[in-house]
Amino acid sequence: MKRLSIIAVIALATATLHGGQAQQQPRAPERAQRPAVASQGTPTESAARPARPTLVASSERQAPAMSAAMQRQVMDQYCVTCHNSRLKTAGLTFDAVDLTNVAPNAEVLEKAVRRVRAGLMPPSGARRPDAATLASLAEGLEASLDRAAAAPNLVAPGLHRLNRTEYANAIRELLGLEIDAAAYLPVDDSTSGFDNVAAGLTVSPALVEGYMSAAGKISRLALGRATAPEEKRYLAPQDYSQEGHVEGLPFGTRGGLLIRNYFPADGEYLFAWFPVRGNTGELYGAESKDEQLIVLIDGEQVGAFDISKLPQGTDNDKNELRLKVKAGYRTVGFTFLSNTQIPGDDLNHHYLRSVLDTNPISGFIFYPQVGQVKILGPYNGAVATDTASRKKILACTPGPQHEETACARTILNRLARQAFRRPIAAEDTRTLMEFYQAGRGKAGTFEDGIERGIQGILSDPEFVFRSEAPPSRLRAGQAYRINDLELASRLAFFLWSTTPDDQLINLASRGQLSDPKVLDAQVRRMVADPRSRELVKNFAGQWLQLRNLPSAAPTTQMFPDFDDNLRQAFRVEAEMFFDSILREDRSVVDLLNANYTFVNERLARHYGIPNIYGSRFRRVTLDGALEDRRGLLGKGAVLLTTSNPDRTSPVLRGKWVLMNVLGVVPPDPPVVPPLRESGKMANGQPVPLEISMRERMQEHRSSPTCASCHTMMDPIGFALESFDAIGKARTQEFGKALDLSAQLTDGVKFAGPTGLRQALTRYSPQFVNNLTEKLFVYALGRSVDYRDMPQIRAIVRDSARTNYRMSSLILGIVTSPAFTMNRYDAEGEGATEARDRKETATPKKDRI
Amino acid sequence: MYLTKTHLPRRTFLRGAGVTLALPFLDSMVPALSALGTSPANPKTRLVTIFAPHGWAPTYWADGDPSVAPTAGRNTGLGFIHQPLAPWQDKMTIVSGLDATSSMPPPGSSGGDHSRASAVFTGTSPKKTSGADIHGGVSIDQIVAQKYGQDTLLPSIQLAIEDPGANTGICGWGYSCAYSNSVSWAAPNRPLPHEINPQLVFERLYGDGSTPEERQARRVASDSILDAVTNKITRLRSRLPGSDRTRLNDYLDSVREMERRLQVAAKVSGESPNIEVPFGVPESFDEHIKLHFDLQALAFQGDITRVSSLMVARDVSLRSYPESGVQTANHPSSHHGEDPKRREDWATINQYHMKCFAHFVKKLAETADGDGTLLDHTLVLWGSNMGNANQHSHVGAGYLLVGGASGRHQPKKLTVRDAGPTSNVLLTAMQLMGVEKDSIGDSTNAVAV
Repeated sequence: MKRLSIIAVIALATATLHGGQAQQQPRAPERAQRPAVASQGTPTESAARPARPTLVASSERQAPAMSAAMQRQVMDQYCVTCHNSRLKTAGLTFDAVDLTNVAPNAEVLEKAVRRVRAGLMPPSGARRPDAATLASLAEGLEASLDRAAAAPNLVAPGLHRLNRTEYANAIRELLGLEIDAAAYLPVDDSTSGFDNVAAGLTVSPALVEGYMSAAGKISRLALGRATAPEEKRYLAPQDYSQEGHVEGLPFGTRGGLLIRNYFPADGEYLFAWFPVRGNTGELYGAESKDEQLIVLIDGEQVGAFDISKLPQGTDNDKNELRLKVKAGYRTVGFTFLSNTQIPGDDLNHHYLRSVLDTNPISGFIFYPQVGQVKILGPYNGAVATDTASRKKILACTPGPQHEETACARTILNRLARQAFRRPIAAEDTRTLMEFYQAGRGKAGTFEDGIERGIQGILSDPEFVFRSEAPPSRLRAGQAYRINDLELASRLAFFLWSTTPDDQLINLASRGQLSDPKVLDAQVRRMVADPRSRELVKNFAGQWLQLRNLPSAAPTTQMFPDFDDNLRQAFRVEAEMFFDSILREDRSVVDLLNANYTFVNERLARHYGIPNIYGSRFRRVTLDGALEDRRGLLGKGAVLLTTSNPDRTSPVLRGKWVLMNVLGVVPPDPPVVPPLRESGKMANGQPVPLEISMRERMQEHRSSPTCASCHTMMDPIGFALESFDAIGKARTQEFGKALDLSAQLTDGVKFAGPTGLRQALTRYSPQFVNNLTEKLFVYALGRSVDYRDMPQIRAIVRDSARTNYRMSSLILGIVTSPAFTMNRYDAEGEGATEARDRKETATPKKDRI
Repeated sequence: MYLTKTHLPRRTFLRGAGVTLALPFLDSMVPALSALGTSPANPKTRLVTIFAPHGWAPTYWADGDPSVAPTAGRNTGLGFIHQPLAPWQDKMTIVSGLDATSSMPPPGSSGGDHSRASAVFTGTSPKKTSGADIHGGVSIDQIVAQKYGQDTLLPSIQLAIEDPGANTGICGWGYSCAYSNSVSWAAPNRPLPHEINPQLVFERLYGDGSTPEERQARRVASDSILDAVTNKITRLRSRLPGSDRTRLNDYLDSVREMERRLQVAAKVSGESPNIEVPFGVPESFDEHIKLHFDLQALAFQGDITRVSSLMVARDVSLRSYPESGVQTANHPSSHHGEDPKRREDWATINQYHMKCFAHFVKKLAETADGDGTLLDHTLVLWGSNMGNANQHSHVGAGYLLVGGASGRHQPKKLTVRDAGPTSNVLLTAMQLMGVEKDSIGDSTNAVAV
């Protein structure tokens, strides 16, 4: 009965989710005025804009633009006291700036606008005009800046090397093969917060070697010809708890590992598993009787182990199975039957992190756990005959030998077209067939030739780099529209982090993609496609720093319940939350406010949400006591990554809000003095200073140097003190009630997370601006600066008409001049030519 | 003098029943009657640079620990942290009281103390930028590699334990992540990526393939593919704008470099060891770093490279080292708050790192190489850019010099104190490596060791 009702709840949640997806099909926003093609400095995005739409909770945007004379008066009164030519506070002077001609001072004025918009200027303690005046000032300055920016900033992102993620995705798109790029390529540096910024993706011999060696291995793997045995190890994270059901494993099982493994060839494989053992080899959970581990391949049981037969006091485990497996992806599960599991409602319940104690403690129930799995093979491996990759690659199979060449040409041309993201020319085919012939040779086979051909394609600079060639006969500095194929690549790498698919290449090669209607339809198709999960993973993952979650390791003594299951749940929640905004095409302001989230049992337990059972995530409404969890500020992922391992950090949380909501990067602090410790010792241990984090942070503010910034950040963090360092709700610290009252720089007072959220809602236009800026960087793969701000504001203004729907931001970006145009950059020409001359003089190396 | 057919090639391996042992340097490889100095088997000096962030716990090493008070001319013992290196104390110099000036915030600014690791072996203050215009100086391993690297298959190798991909948020303060991701800089704007996966390191050393023959065949295939790549780059270059060409030229340089390696590899073909290739990234730090150390020793043994660089951890590492007995993570431990117990924990972690390092030193000392051991012909420089990490202090930092550097490093004292900026040690190391330079970064003079 109980199970039935749970299923009903799940079904209901699913229905809601899908219903939500279906009903949201907003009208396409009006097309922005398109820039003229190949003419210098023509696009005037900022000049003619429709009247400002009315916005939800946004007094700022409704303000009329202030005249230059009035701006001067306001700035003289409120800004110049500090930012004058004599004091030069923060290196900014506004007394000498001509507000009727802002172009020469655009950079400093953009800084001013940003801080005013964020409510951070004038600073607390200084005199400030009312909100309407400030908004009107910002509006006026922005209008002048937008007018002054006659031509949009068109900096070509430049030659763009595929990063690890893009490389792996491109391989999947091309060959139907999932690879772990980290196993082939060195890490990419991130620039301006993202690892897809072209300028940061440098090259080195190690990288070239990585690409070359990957090309060789992947071409073998894809054809199922990697028959040499290899070992793969899968480790359970040290803080992974195995007391619940793992999603994807059968009901009625407990814990264990679920692995998606690629079996490179048909053959026998050895499966070995290792239980968790203590320091002296004692089997963890050995006192739990009648434990059985079962092994499953693709959901089917292929073996079982009786845990009581495992040796004690040694880690010399030989729990092995040798099985014949067909090549391809298979899920392999190692899990325990949960017939021994007793509902954990007795008083002696240990921590949620199930392997925290390494020794059995009487009165507590522990269960055995899987620590590591190895898959070795293939033994007697044979070339695979039937895998998804082979089907994808081998578009034809030659019968008699004379058909081979024609078939090889078909296969390699098709692959090269997608790899190079353009139609294939005769010259390309010639090179590809040279590879084929070299591999085929006299002694080799047809597939030897195809393998070499694929290796050649994957090594090709045109695969490894995205490049955009300017049309011929351009003047230096001339603006031009990128061609449709280049546009297809930009779109695909932005929304999918991979190469364009057939449909995009087809449209682009017919020159239809840049047609506004076609482009609009394609963007909507791409967002709806499952591949847009990559935008969530890579954009949100970096913007919200979800990629830092794996390294967040709260001190176990203080947070014994924290485990990897919770860490993963935080990640999934944040990704699903962002995904819902994207897929349901909601207003991005919902990222701050939405009254729903996604939880599974582990996360619900952490958040104190009752009646959620099982490993599956489902949508829940956040109301009543859960209101504090609304929006990003209440999400575990954000709260955890902005904490120290042993305590909260109001500073980091405040900084997070400043950077991600208000779009302001706080300046560097001076050398950090240590926080006060009690200094007392008892039994050889330091006595912790039992005062609240808030009280400790007061020290930051007693020093004037610290105070100037910490008065901006700390209060924001104080309001979030009702969440501890792992994002669990609390009302007390050291037995004393928490003081959650806080104040923004603009003087608005509030208390607690909900108060903070509401206070920040007034800054939602600034949040949208900031999100757009980040998305702009990510979409273009280049850093932005003050010169880009007029374009970014234009996108945001357009998007306001749909109340900032995600699709309107994405469409705004992909139709912006920056996304569709480049400016011809002739720089570096001389150096290149000099070098070319030098190279001709160098004799060609001797071949061996 | 050349090796003749009667001599074993430079790298020879005994193949037995399923087991293959590497015998990289047999006496028989040196042609009879040849002087070592002119033989191709003449031992070359190797350089290892090792970076560990956050310095050493104050008072637990030669920076002021009373147990290491110097006696006449020579210290009597080692501090707690360096105890694991006791067997080789005659071959090492501890330089204490260094000022990591190049890691200090530039004049007029502050903060970013964890964002300037690149300075540790460049002695150059990294340019504050999060954009593409990075500038971090050239590190000494690369200066050495540029001088001697051409003779070996790989000019240098870069290894690390922690994957920056998992920890991208730390390189803030307006500094590019490049500065904290790499301590090996080939040019002021070219940080070299450090490899985490021992399996990939092995493949870098010996090529891809399960047998030497297979590896050789694949090298030949790669060579022809590189030809096609070179042609394609030339074609692309003609139609791309100037700024892109610069990057393509970098790529072409890298391709050329790879071609060169293939040529060298072809010369030493067929003799790569048939040892078991390590698979994947080990779970435990202990296992991981020892594998990395073993691979470096193996690379030196086979003269595949003479220069390596290793990052034990990254700044602000949250890794903990349960093998040390301390559970607190690296970075929090370094902020010991001057609490005696916590400082001891931090020292224990430092000592644990030295235990791992001792595994390497032992291996070098036990591996015969020409007329001595690898340790005799190697110089290891272990450095950090902090003194007391509790305050992120860049004053009072320590570096270690270990190994004979082919007779150039004959320590007169165990400890050298107050040697000025850290760049002075870098200068010393370069000179011990036979690089004739009289300054690097902000060095004032070499340290007398």
